[in-house]
Order: sequence, then structure tokens, then C-alpha cells
Amino acid sequence: MSTATGSARLAFYKLAPGVYQPLLNAHVAAKKGLGDPVLAELVLIRASQINHCAFCLDMHVKDAQKAGVSEERIHLLNAWEEAAGHYTAKEQAALALTEAVTVLTEGFVPDAVYERAAAHFDERELAHLIALITTINMWNRINVAIRQPIGGQS
Amino acid sequence: MTTNGNPQETHHHPRVAIAPNAPEVYRAMVALDAAAKKGLDPALVHLVKIRASQINHCAFCIDMHIKEARKEGETEERVYLLNAWEEAAGHYTAKEQAALALTEAVTVLTDGFVPDAVYERAAGQFEEAELAQLIALITTINAWNRFGVTTRMTPGQV
Repeated sequence: MSTATGSARLAFYKLAPGVYQPLLNAHVAAKKGLGDPVLAELVLIRASQINHCAFCLDMHVKDAQKAGVSEERIHLLNAWEEAAGHYTAKEQAALALTEAVTVLTEGFVPDAVYERAAAHFDERELAHLIALITTINMWNRINVAIRQPIGGQS
Repeated sequence: MTTNGNPQETHHHPRVAIAPNAPEVYRAMVALDAAAKKGLDPALVHLVKIRASQINHCAFCIDMHIKEARKEGETEERVYLLNAWEEAAGHYTAKEQAALALTEAVTVLTDGFVPDAVYERAAGQFEEAELAQLIALITTINAWNRFGVTTRMTPGQV
């Protein structure tokens, strides 16, 4: 069995060079359009937790710390609904949407979750939030599939 | 569900559209989609896109990709058996089966970690550059599925 240290299973980003740039462009545009770097990192961490992407978790926890997110708010993300006092109503709405959009196998992005988000974000922000949840889901998939080592790059 | 030719009325509120509200993201996604399927067998691309869309319950995407597959000559039987492809292994090549197993593992990350057996089965059928493209393809259809489901696109909607 391969391990999560050393090199990735596949030098994905070298082998599919045409893929990396548009993927990065989509991600950067989504994050920029959302316009809230702290919220963005909370979303990126939560999706990476759900998808079990160690490489992504490591990267986004560090990015969140750099963006000034407290250690407590990072650690409690895994149980944010039980720690609602640590997150704004807007953050909670975004986290609920993150979970629904990430776990499509179990549901259909329920109206209650969608409308909770729609009440806190205008259409443009909401479109970019959905896009950001979607792009981190892509990074999660690639990095889990190739078993990208923490801190590594291929 | 349609039972007698009259589609059941739905009462969903309209949801946000990605393309007009996040045009830069949308353009990048279209470029990504084109880059991801490059070099892959078009018939295989359809099978992967349909299977991921089934798992993610994206009606718009299932409809679109089945129609595309059928237009390009895919059989009805291979399309409707996709949902149970492991039980209908005789209908798919070893390469297609390896790609479908990888599609399921990469799509359902919540249950596992893309097991070595699944990864190695794919690596046994695809050379490295092609395998990277396949992973990109699975990832990209997962993104379209998320847009389709979240914004509740309906079959046939453009």
C-alpha cells in the first residue's frame, strides 16, 4: 500500500498541463467574486474535511491562519452546527450550503439549505459561493485521487 | 416522475444561474471541460459522465450526456446498464470497467480514499498521461453536476 508521504501516485499537474490553468482560473475567479477571504477559507476547509483531502486541509488551515481565522474557529468547523456561536449567521448559511453541495450522493441541495444561503448572499455572491464550493470539490478530487502528499506538488 | 404523459407539477423556487452571475468562472469551466476530455475515447467520456451524473443525481446532466452518447452511437443497453455495470461486466471492456470503478471512487470521496485496488486497476489500463486526463474528466463532470443540482437545472434546459 502506498503511503501519504513521499511522492504522489501520479504527476497529475505535469501530465495534464492544459487542465491546471482553467481549473486555477475558475477557482481564483470564484474566490474573488465571493469577496470574503475568511469565509472562503472556512468553506475550503469544511469541504476538504468532508472529502478527506489531507493535502487540501493542510493548505487551507494554513491559509486560514494567515487570513486571521482563530485556531478555535478552525478546529470547531468539523462540528460547526454544535458551535454555532462561533460563526456568523452568514457563515453558517455558507457552511450548510457547502455540506449540501459537497455531499450530492445523499441529497439534492434542499430548499431550506438553499434559501438560507440566498437570504444572506445576493445573486452574484451566491453564484460565486456555489462556484467556490465546486472548485474546492475539484481540487479535493484530484488531490485525493493522486494521493498528493501534504505540502507536496507534482 | 412522469406516469401518464403529464409531468408532475413542481413548485420549486427558481435558483441562481451560474453563467450570467459568475461569467469568468463559467468561461474557465468550459475551457477546463475541453482540456479534460482531450485524448480520451469519446465513448468512454460519455460513460464516465453519465455514471458520475447518476451518482450525483443530476437530472440535467444525465439527460444531456445520455442524449449525446446515443447520438454518437452508444447502445441503449450499455446506457441503461451503467447503473449496475459491475453486474453487467460483459457489456463493458476491461478498460471501461476500470474507468467506471475509478469514477465511482473519485465521485464518492465521503466513503473512502480512492483505494489502491481501484487506482491500480485504472493504472493497469491507462498510461499515465491518459490516466491524468481521466481523473480530470471525472473531476470536471463532478463540477458540472454540482452546478446542475445546486441551481436545479432541469432536463433540456440550456
